[in-house]
Amino acid sequence: MSWLGSLLPVAHALVARKDLPVPAWLFAWGASIVLIVSFFALSVGWRTPRFERDRWRPLGARLSRALLALPAQIVYGLVGVSLLGVAIYAGLHGTEAPDRNFALTFLYVTVWLGFPLFSVFLGDVFQPFNPWRAVGRTAGGAFTALAGQRPAHLPYPPWFGRWPAAIGLIAVVWLEIIYGASGGVAVGLEPHAAAVAAACYSAYTLTMMALFGVEQWCRAGEVFSVYFGMFGQLGCFGVKDGRLGVRRPFAAATKWATVPGSAAVVIASIATTSFDGAQEGAFKAALESTFDHLVDAGVGLTSALRLTDTIFIVLCFAGVAAVYLIGVRGMAGVPGAPSFKRLRDGFAHTLIPIAFAYLVAHYFSLFVFQEQAQFTYLLSDPLGTGTTDLFGTASSGVNFQLLSANAIWYVQVGGLVIGHVIGLTLAHDRATAYWGDYRQAARSQYWMLAVMVAFTCFGLYLLSVANA
Amino acid sequence: MNSNTARAALGAAVVIVAIVLLIVLKGNDSSSSDTSTTKGVTTIVVKNGKPVGGIKQLTYNEGERVRFKVDSDVSDEVHMHGYDIMKDVKAGGSVSFDFPATIEGVFEAELEGRKEQILELTVNP
Repeated sequence: MSWLGSLLPVAHALVARKDLPVPAWLFAWGASIVLIVSFFALSVGWRTPRFERDRWRPLGARLSRALLALPAQIVYGLVGVSLLGVAIYAGLHGTEAPDRNFALTFLYVTVWLGFPLFSVFLGDVFQPFNPWRAVGRTAGGAFTALAGQRPAHLPYPPWFGRWPAAIGLIAVVWLEIIYGASGGVAVGLEPHAAAVAAACYSAYTLTMMALFGVEQWCRAGEVFSVYFGMFGQLGCFGVKDGRLGVRRPFAAATKWATVPGSAAVVIASIATTSFDGAQEGAFKAALESTFDHLVDAGVGLTSALRLTDTIFIVLCFAGVAAVYLIGVRGMAGVPGAPSFKRLRDGFAHTLIPIAFAYLVAHYFSLFVFQEQAQFTYLLSDPLGTGTTDLFGTASSGVNFQLLSANAIWYVQVGGLVIGHVIGLTLAHDRATAYWGDYRQAARSQYWMLAVMVAFTCFGLYLLSVANA
Repeated sequence: MNSNTARAALGAAVVIVAIVLLIVLKGNDSSSSDTSTTKGVTTIVVKNGKPVGGIKQLTYNEGERVRFKVDSDVSDEVHMHGYDIMKDVKAGGSVSFDFPATIEGVFEAELEGRKEQILELTVNP
């Protein structure tokens, strides 16, 4: 018996309007522009690095003090903790209708997509609002006051690096788009499950902070800090020696991948977005046949669906990693190249713009539609039970006519092309820093150029067959 | 990089671009036949709470009228997502939908109580 009819992934429980596939003519023009821009970049490259040295201009002392003072930090922390509390409470006690419950839209759209968006322009805006960091610092402060000494921590094993964050990132996406299955049909994550997961993650994070120290865990292991912080490296505001300042856009990213496992984080980001974009398009037939094989082999329907998706999301990670590592391997063969390991870590940050472009391409419309819900009925009636109308907007709806299909297509393709250009720029800049000889630097960039063209054209291809 | 190599690189780029445009746009011509729109009233038959023959695919251009009928052997609520139209259907009864295709995109209609998708509606610009 074939189960084809029953397998129709409804990945996001929140998506009411899915994007139309990008038309062939736009796909062709997007790919063409990418190729022309890339070859052009090879011929006009500059010869000395421009982003490696930070250009830092501190903002006014009073503004800086007002925004960074302890009372302000306490307010940010309280905002973060209370919003997390509302989300968990709504998830546990509110409606099970995913689109009517505050929890899912808040956690998976407003936070998960909103922070990357603001971070790429502004810098790391998540850190002050991080609820677990706020709780951890409060607990640490209380311990110091009571015990008369600062809490002692285990040394963080260096080889852990950012791997806990990379694995956690895949787990967060896995929970959203793979876990929510029932009887062989993907039904999407339920608010109750999301709230339980958020509570478990909180317990895990606070434990890790107690073991290794709050700041250490935020720097390397805490999924949201590392993931949003990664995008924040592209933004133009930062804090240095307790002072807020303006920096050259993208420049901070050049120092991001110094912690081991950083490349895995950015690869995990590209891979999970690829999987989500491909499951109702490019991978659909392969997913269905794998699912059928597993069911025929006697695996239960729900397990078979989860297992199929899990296999493919892991394959996505392996595939994206393989493409990147082949590029690194190629660069290592260019005379005068640093070690493979140094190259692997040294070019990881050049993929951050690509990762962000993938987010824009796949979630732009979802973000625009779902934020209307977030700031109207989900805010007035967070439980979705029709019992509260806090701001008088409980009966508002989402205006799905706000974006035409054409507008979505142009943003998707434009986002991929711009991400591609910024990625190439960063890679070229890093190459001029690693190779003293300009000709060898340019040669090494044939490899990174191939890597980036592969990712961008794959992204365009996913869009052209999405939901088709 | 010297100007000869640069010129060669740009030349190669133009050739590749021409090939890509040719392949993709040619492929588009042959596949354009399956983008025709749905005419008339389509009937979706629901048996044992599932759509007979799988999920029905309907395609319209923006501005046309979407017309379909659901004959169901179970009592449930039919929810047309995106357009947010909900209509009850009784066991053994039928319910008709007729609305203008004003929102572009891909939408689902499902039996709300069973979370069973019965229709995929595509509205092209």
